[in-house]
Amino acid sequence: MFKNFIFPFLIFVFAGISIAQTQTPNWSEETNIYDKVYDASLQLISGENISLHQLAEKKPLIIALIFTRCTGVCSPLLFQLMESLQHTPSDKNNPYSVLVVSFDTLDSLKDMELMARRIELQKNKDWQFAITDNISQLNASVGFNPIWDDNIQQFDHDALLVGVNSDGYIAKKLIGLRNEKEIGLLISSINNVFSPTYRLPNPNILFSCFNYDPRTGKNTPGLGLLFIALPAVVSFSLVFGIRFLVKRKTV
Amino acid sequence: MENTLLKKNTAFWIITILVLFVLSIILGIIMRLNQGAIIRLSPVTFYTDMTTHGLTMIGIWFVAGMAGINFIMERYVKTSYWANLLALIFTIAGIVMLWVSTLVGNFHAGWTFLYPLPFKIMWSQWATPMFLFSLTTLGVGWLIWCLSLVTALLKKYSIPQVFAWQHFKKNPQLETPPFVLISMISLVGIITCLIAAVVLLILLFSEYYSNGTFVNDALLMKNLTYFFGHTIANEMLYLGLAILYELFSEISGQAKWKTTWYVALAWNFTLIFILTAFFHHLYMDFVQPEGFQLIGQIASYSASLPAAGVTVFSVIVAVYRKKVNWSLANLLFFIGVVGWVIGGIGAVIDATISNNFILHNTLWVPAHFHTYNALGNVLFSLAFFYWFSKHYTNSNSKDRFSTLKLLFIVVGGIGFLLAFYIGGADSIPRRYSDYPEAFTSAKALAAFGAAFATVYLIGILILFINISNRCLRILFSRS
Repeated sequence: MFKNFIFPFLIFVFAGISIAQTQTPNWSEETNIYDKVYDASLQLISGENISLHQLAEKKPLIIALIFTRCTGVCSPLLFQLMESLQHTPSDKNNPYSVLVVSFDTLDSLKDMELMARRIELQKNKDWQFAITDNISQLNASVGFNPIWDDNIQQFDHDALLVGVNSDGYIAKKLIGLRNEKEIGLLISSINNVFSPTYRLPNPNILFSCFNYDPRTGKNTPGLGLLFIALPAVVSFSLVFGIRFLVKRKTV
Repeated sequence: MENTLLKKNTAFWIITILVLFVLSIILGIIMRLNQGAIIRLSPVTFYTDMTTHGLTMIGIWFVAGMAGINFIMERYVKTSYWANLLALIFTIAGIVMLWVSTLVGNFHAGWTFLYPLPFKIMWSQWATPMFLFSLTTLGVGWLIWCLSLVTALLKKYSIPQVFAWQHFKKNPQLETPPFVLISMISLVGIITCLIAAVVLLILLFSEYYSNGTFVNDALLMKNLTYFFGHTIANEMLYLGLAILYELFSEISGQAKWKTTWYVALAWNFTLIFILTAFFHHLYMDFVQPEGFQLIGQIASYSASLPAAGVTVFSVIVAVYRKKVNWSLANLLFFIGVVGWVIGGIGAVIDATISNNFILHNTLWVPAHFHTYNALGNVLFSLAFFYWFSKHYTNSNSKDRFSTLKLLFIVVGGIGFLLAFYIGGADSIPRRYSDYPEAFTSAKALAAFGAAFATVYLIGILILFINISNRCLRILFSRS
């Protein structure tokens, strides 16, 4: 019975959980969370000069990092964001501004203005388009690393959205084109509304009860759950083991 | 049974426990006086007192139950004197280390030392490892003791017999005494929670000595902490009940209680469900799956109601229209059952998810656990101490002031607990060293509680002097 059924079953369960345990999520989305974003000085297309922290103080920010010559993910990122935000407009209870910042030093204020006009957002008060002289510091503070590729004359970069609350802290990051629900959670986070979906990351945590995958937003069972069951298993095994030993001794 | 060495050991256990009990009550009163703004303590001193008070109380009333069942178990099986002695030595060493880490090193992470608090060093650097080593010392001594008692039982009884499974059939050929059944059920639960403590301590030590290369999962640590903490706090009560099942009828001059199918069933239920009831401590942890929360609520009801039901029924049957030789010992048992039931109801109310949203971390929590401890489990053990000290000093004299002692303990206990219950119902938070003005009744209630706790202490002190005197005679007698 044990050899044919229970042992293979236990092996199957342990192997399944171990595989789930080793599938580590992409941690880059979890870096820099609760750090202060760099207080870059911004030039807005409206002509205003303002620091990033001052802008965040007015309304929490969703920062989108793009460049105007981008032939890749920049436009889809902005269009997806526009579409998602139509369902969650900025209001009294849920205030936010979108700050589109170019990370390309060749981009001028005029380039950014053209981009805003092209996607018909130049007059939208919830959207700000800006360039900055402190882009490398800003990139470093949010964990964004664009790499210039000479062959294609383009930057290789993530489609990154950074949520910054009104105190200037990074509350959440999203990498890739994300759905409406996740954008909603980002807005909740920058407004300091509790979002029960993720935990503080640490790659040194070996025995998690659950592993959160930021790509899917799902928790999968982890090795830690076995530790909760372990004491009962050991204890009952001890009782049966002791009885077996004392019985054999008396026989 | 008449094992002299075991008798002396038991007497030593009793004196040690009572001394630590009095000191811990004083720490408790000091905390309530500070909350009542009658004295002024720094928050560090308050939380140091709270940590010392909580862990010492849990420790001493656990070993009180263990010392009691070890002594009575000799009636049925041969137990190991050396395991008992080893546990005594380890307990004293562990308590000394604990008190040094808290009172000298200022370690003040609370008795639950909830992760990651022990690593947020706000005290002497050495106090954290000292605290963890004190728990290790206590745990090792207790685990060896429990395993030795389980071995002793399993030498005589098979597994179905020791769990009284034969009572589920009609006319069982062999009767498992209720004392043996409840002791075994409790010991298995205690071994399980001590193993949870071992896993917890290994993980804590691993992180402490890993220099940041290993970090624990907070959810796992909280689960393990309450697996250990909640379970041991409940199991120690069951140890007291095992003694009650054995001694209540004997002291009352009645026939011995028997195991029936419903007694066996109730206690087997308790064994299973008590191990998952701790999930109710994690209702506020959103990452814990909802299924675990539901298990927590169902197990909280299933663990407590059957055991309470059969015990209360047995006690009522034993005293209702029956001739009872009342003495201080069986009165303490009787009042202890009442306290246990009231505290248990308070606990079940709090373990109901919808109520927990309101009562979580309010004074309702100390209210219920102090009820089933101060007016429940403590009285079970005091009854045993009293019986033991009288029985083995051949002291036939009627105790003077019995009613007075009981009156002090009961009136003091009720007043002290009432302040907690009213505070809990008024949403006053627990574990605050000073109450802000927003909690208008908190300070007055704390002062009221401290006053009645002092009355309780007076009753305990009188009992302490009587019992300790007799135990000292046992300890230094030649026979």
